[in-house]
Amino acid sequence: MFNYRIIAVIKRELREKLMSKSFIIMTLLMPVIMFAFIGLQTLMVSFQGDKGTKIEVITENPDLTVECRRVFNRLPFIEDGSWTITYNTVPGKDLKEYIESKKGELLSKKLTGIIFIPQKALEDKAVEYYAKTPNKLAIVAKMNGPINNILIDRYFSGKNLTEGELAFARKSVHFNNFKVTKEDKIEKQAYGNIALAFVFAVLLYMSLIMSGSMTMSAVIEEKNSKVVEVLLSSVSSKELMTGKVFGSSITSLAQMVIWLLPLIVLMSTSWIVLPDQFKFDISYGHLIYFLFNFFLGLLIYQGLFAMVGSIFNTPQEAQQGVFPLMLLIIIPFLLCFSMINNPDNIIAAIASYIPFATIIVMPCRFTLVDMSFIYPLISCVINILTLILIFPVIGKVYRVGILRTGTKPTMGEVIKWVKAKE
Amino acid sequence: MPVLEVRNLTKMFDVLKAVDNASFEVPEGSIFGLIGRNGAGKTTTIRMLMNIYMPTSGEIIFRGKPVDHEFRARVGYLPEERGLYKKMKVLEAILFFAELKGKKGRDVTKKAKEYLERFDLTDRMNSKLETLSKGNQQKVQFISTIIHDPDFIVLDEPFSGLDPINTNLLKDIILEKKKAGKVIIFSTHLMDFAEKLCDHIAMIDKGKIILNGNLSSIKADFSKNNVKLIYEGDIFFLDNHPIVDHISDFGNSVGISLKSAEQTQELLRLLLEHDVKVISFDSNDISLNEIFIDLAGSAPKEEYRFVQL
Repeated sequence: MFNYRIIAVIKRELREKLMSKSFIIMTLLMPVIMFAFIGLQTLMVSFQGDKGTKIEVITENPDLTVECRRVFNRLPFIEDGSWTITYNTVPGKDLKEYIESKKGELLSKKLTGIIFIPQKALEDKAVEYYAKTPNKLAIVAKMNGPINNILIDRYFSGKNLTEGELAFARKSVHFNNFKVTKEDKIEKQAYGNIALAFVFAVLLYMSLIMSGSMTMSAVIEEKNSKVVEVLLSSVSSKELMTGKVFGSSITSLAQMVIWLLPLIVLMSTSWIVLPDQFKFDISYGHLIYFLFNFFLGLLIYQGLFAMVGSIFNTPQEAQQGVFPLMLLIIIPFLLCFSMINNPDNIIAAIASYIPFATIIVMPCRFTLVDMSFIYPLISCVINILTLILIFPVIGKVYRVGILRTGTKPTMGEVIKWVKAKE
Repeated sequence: MPVLEVRNLTKMFDVLKAVDNASFEVPEGSIFGLIGRNGAGKTTTIRMLMNIYMPTSGEIIFRGKPVDHEFRARVGYLPEERGLYKKMKVLEAILFFAELKGKKGRDVTKKAKEYLERFDLTDRMNSKLETLSKGNQQKVQFISTIIHDPDFIVLDEPFSGLDPINTNLLKDIILEKKKAGKVIIFSTHLMDFAEKLCDHIAMIDKGKIILNGNLSSIKADFSKNNVKLIYEGDIFFLDNHPIVDHISDFGNSVGISLKSAEQTQELLRLLLEHDVKVISFDSNDISLNEIFIDLAGSAPKEEYRFVQL
């Protein structure tokens, strides 16, 4: 399949990339970046910045006010002093006036907000919240449960219920997910596969963009350093491009295998036992498919990135040109996220068969949804067909582009290169 | 039989005709010069020879067959715009270019080291190319061109940017390769070099071949009425003189084209009569530069005239 010229180019690519410091650094750094990314996201969601929140809780009934004080004082964020709550009893008819009197404090944010639990709430559970910025989800999230519990207790008090019955009434619903498979077994589904789909999506996304950008800058550098003309006296442009794309793709594949090693270890030994909720369910076949799909994706995207690199003379110019290509990776990546919320998402299902998108969407979908191996296989066929269709086009643009200097070519010119006969 | 034949080669870039119906032949065992001023179409022609550009029309025949991979593997090419992988080490880069031509192993490494020795680069063998001076990078580039012992060496403007010492080294190797029976094709806008090195030339101007063939025959043809003169004094009296066709001034010498070959003695007499001190008087001699001016109108820019070959 490959002649000695292509093999020489592949070998050089491997020598340069696989043995380079940047490869080692990136291989080690990538998982760190990924976990930092996940960690940061979690942190940002959990960080509410609500320290120093001052709430006033008002009821119409002194008994209820006392009850509120008793329950709320046991809340962790009150105990640790990050929130302070004051209490007052005000009849409903005087509320308007009372709020008016507190207006200054509310506007100057000396007081974050006032929660009014009317007597009627014991029947309809509707409470009122007055504040300068009332749409604060953190307040609702933190106070909803405790207030609900008080209302439940009050509602059922005197109705001869046991503490156990009350505890049941206070509890919210918990979903246990079971996966029904063809093999007639029903198993409790953990979050492992969702986490894995997320990891797969991020790895594909980052790796494709990173390796593609590296190939693009390598092509621009070859073009600028004029080494390309020396190369072209020995190899054809197609051979050069094939060698480069395969060399870079093999490097990235090796990197991916290294990243997946922990997963392979988890799958192959019973020494390390994951907590039940993180157990995942994938096979070696699944992993092989993931890697094969990734390799096809690399060939396609590295080819496209090399083509963009060949068109432009500077990395700055190329950054603009590469934008549509980035979208081809970013959109499927975002689709993966919507799929993690709803694996049966119809758009994601369609995208998993669309050329380019399928590279990222199908492995994610295959991890989340129970489906026959036929579907990933179809996706691979689509990838191979895409490769066969786009490579001659990429080759033509690359052939003209790499020797071209001077002004940035227009889209029309590039199309002319494609249409030109060899 | 010529080893390489260029037949009716044309290359268009949009509306620009860079090479216009060019035809010439490169004989076996020769040093062939493709000469012309900058932008005349030399590099485009050479790139077509190397199969880097596809000709718009015409063909290039190598030993009776259109040029293909066989030709590529047997040719060593030094492009006008030199380039190497900056991050590669010297020896590694040379071996990589050899491998692209299908040559690898101990013999190639040994030969690479011999060349490095000859070019005084042994101590830089494991240095990264980016740490080398421009001149040293050029030497590495030249070694990469000939490391696989090609039968054909194609050099595009090989002397540009070289200092006199390296120019001589390069010239020696070119002559050495010729002795070993290799064919050398080089392009240059420096007429002196071409004149002293080439057996055959093709002169290209505005994409067209305006002259080609054996250099001695060409010179014999053009020098019949010509006198090359080095003098001190004033020769204004020769302007519009009835025996003089035209005079080409080259600074330190002039070429005087006479209307008839028999008027050489008459010219010498006139010079002496006008108290011109004759330092050198070569009848029937003409430089390539003069021929070029005759044919193309003005001389290509001459650089490095001081370099003595």
